[in-house]
Amino acid sequence: MTNVVKLNPEKMKEPINVLIVGVGGQGVIMVSKVLAQICQNLGYQVKQSEVHGMAKRGGVVFSHVRFGSNVWSPTIPMGKADVLIALEWAEGLRWMNYLRPGSGVFIADTKRIVPPFACRSRVLGADIGYSKNTPDDVREKVAEAFAIDATEMATKAGNERAANTLLLGALSTTLTFPDKAWKEVITQMVPPKTVEVNLKVFDQGQRWIKGSRKGEPVEGAAFVPLVQPEENAVRTHLEITAEWCKGCDICVKMCPERCLVLNKDQVAELAEPEKCTGCHICEWLCPDFAISLNPIQQEAAE
Amino acid sequence: MNKQVAISAENNEAGNSEIRDFEIRDYLRLDMFPHFMCPGCGHGIALRALLWAIHSQGIEKDKLAIVSGIGCSGRVGSYIDANTYHTTHGRPLAFATGLKMARPDLHVVVITGDGDCLAIGGNHLIHAARRNLDITCLMLNNEIYGMTGGQVSPTTPHDRFTTTTPAGNKEPVFDASRLAEAAGAGFVGREITIHLPRLRDLIAEGLAYNGFSFIEVMSDCTEVNGRKNDLGSSPEMVLGQTRTMRPSEYDNNVVDHPFRPNTMNTGVFVRSDRPEYGATYRNMVDEIQALQQKGQK
Repeated sequence: MTNVVKLNPEKMKEPINVLIVGVGGQGVIMVSKVLAQICQNLGYQVKQSEVHGMAKRGGVVFSHVRFGSNVWSPTIPMGKADVLIALEWAEGLRWMNYLRPGSGVFIADTKRIVPPFACRSRVLGADIGYSKNTPDDVREKVAEAFAIDATEMATKAGNERAANTLLLGALSTTLTFPDKAWKEVITQMVPPKTVEVNLKVFDQGQRWIKGSRKGEPVEGAAFVPLVQPEENAVRTHLEITAEWCKGCDICVKMCPERCLVLNKDQVAELAEPEKCTGCHICEWLCPDFAISLNPIQQEAAE
Repeated sequence: MNKQVAISAENNEAGNSEIRDFEIRDYLRLDMFPHFMCPGCGHGIALRALLWAIHSQGIEKDKLAIVSGIGCSGRVGSYIDANTYHTTHGRPLAFATGLKMARPDLHVVVITGDGDCLAIGGNHLIHAARRNLDITCLMLNNEIYGMTGGQVSPTTPHDRFTTTTPAGNKEPVFDASRLAEAAGAGFVGREITIHLPRLRDLIAEGLAYNGFSFIEVMSDCTEVNGRKNDLGSSPEMVLGQTRTMRPSEYDNNVVDHPFRPNTMNTGVFVRSDRPEYGATYRNMVDEIQALQQKGQK
């Protein structure tokens, strides 16, 4: 953690690789454009390559920026990225294998955007398929890891969408470009009305990293581990009054989880209780009042 | 169970706690169960919606009077643990009018069917709607006389086979909601049984409305109507309600099939501020009494 990484393109034979990832709509392309423009202004050769494919829906959103005295290929080989900037926490973890093992720099926004396909199970209190890794897990594998609550800080500063500029500020501490060059390009690139807030959060990002390196308390919230919804879940118990059931089949056909069946006596039966999500559809549509969903009170009693 | 829970569109977020508050068995006469209705009959779902709406409006059982006529719908009222009144065929609205005039403090709910309300009691319906007395009329429309063996009713759709129309029904049908609207009902709405929360909210609004509220519930007769006309099993009939329904527009053609297989409109059709008859009547009585007292002095 103590080894501060400083990347100076003048002193390096190979190009410097910066990989920027996100879920789309967060400013991944903006970050890479700003970075590429600065490098170009300073006289380096830059190659940039991007895919913007809706990471929220299972695709990928990334942008490769390579710069140095001589760049041949626009894409970064796996395990060769010097800096990984993630605008969303799980996306950062997903692209960890592109980072140079042991010497890479990991900068991530701790904002969580849980994709819909991470919530496949509709059972109450079901596990969210979202990464449960913490920044400490990442620190072991890289030279420097920063988990910044950039979205929260940018929102407080006045514009949620400036979170990417805050991460640029964080990036500027790793590269050796002068601050003036950064601010000049940011002023050119961002919408005119948001210049002020963008420059503000850029400074905030720089301050955050510097403070964090010195071990000083930094502004912004600490990393909050992922909370599973189990705490709020109310487990329910489906009770079927067999004497009242007339076997009309409505509950069996309407159940979204298909967990009810008609048994050999033509009476509804809960075949797979673990699948029941407690959605109340069978209870509501039972014309015979034979089904009742009752909350299980055991946790309240404890 | 007298918790008052307001139901509104904004309040749907709080739905979960509300669901747990409502225990339907508190409102049923459990010794009469299982009920007499056929498997898959939509009347059971309508009864749940009514009881839920009553619960949501915080109406006490002692202040609730259920008046029902004859037929499958008439028997529905018997299962409610409140003041229930099982009256003659077609006349629940007439009985309810007398009841409401004598006891204005009661919430009077009429449960009636399509044959009960539109054929035999057709006149009572239009006059109850005309007076705009504070009664909630729940018409369970299953498009047939189910209890007596499946005779044609005023709402049986075109070409539907029944025991009395073996070659298919050739009579045009009644659009009961339009009839009530034209007769002057203050609140008119229609809903299908599969949309239970919406039906509940509609009935709750009707209960809260000060005036004659006419609510048409599209129910299913699976055994008599469905079987004879090959309309499918109970779940198929319940699901079929949504397929042939259009919620927002109200462009029914009375001559054509008003409900199925064409489109059907649901929701609130009329919400007027006509004066309620009971209050008008009592004002008149007060005025006359005041005049008489003056004359005596």
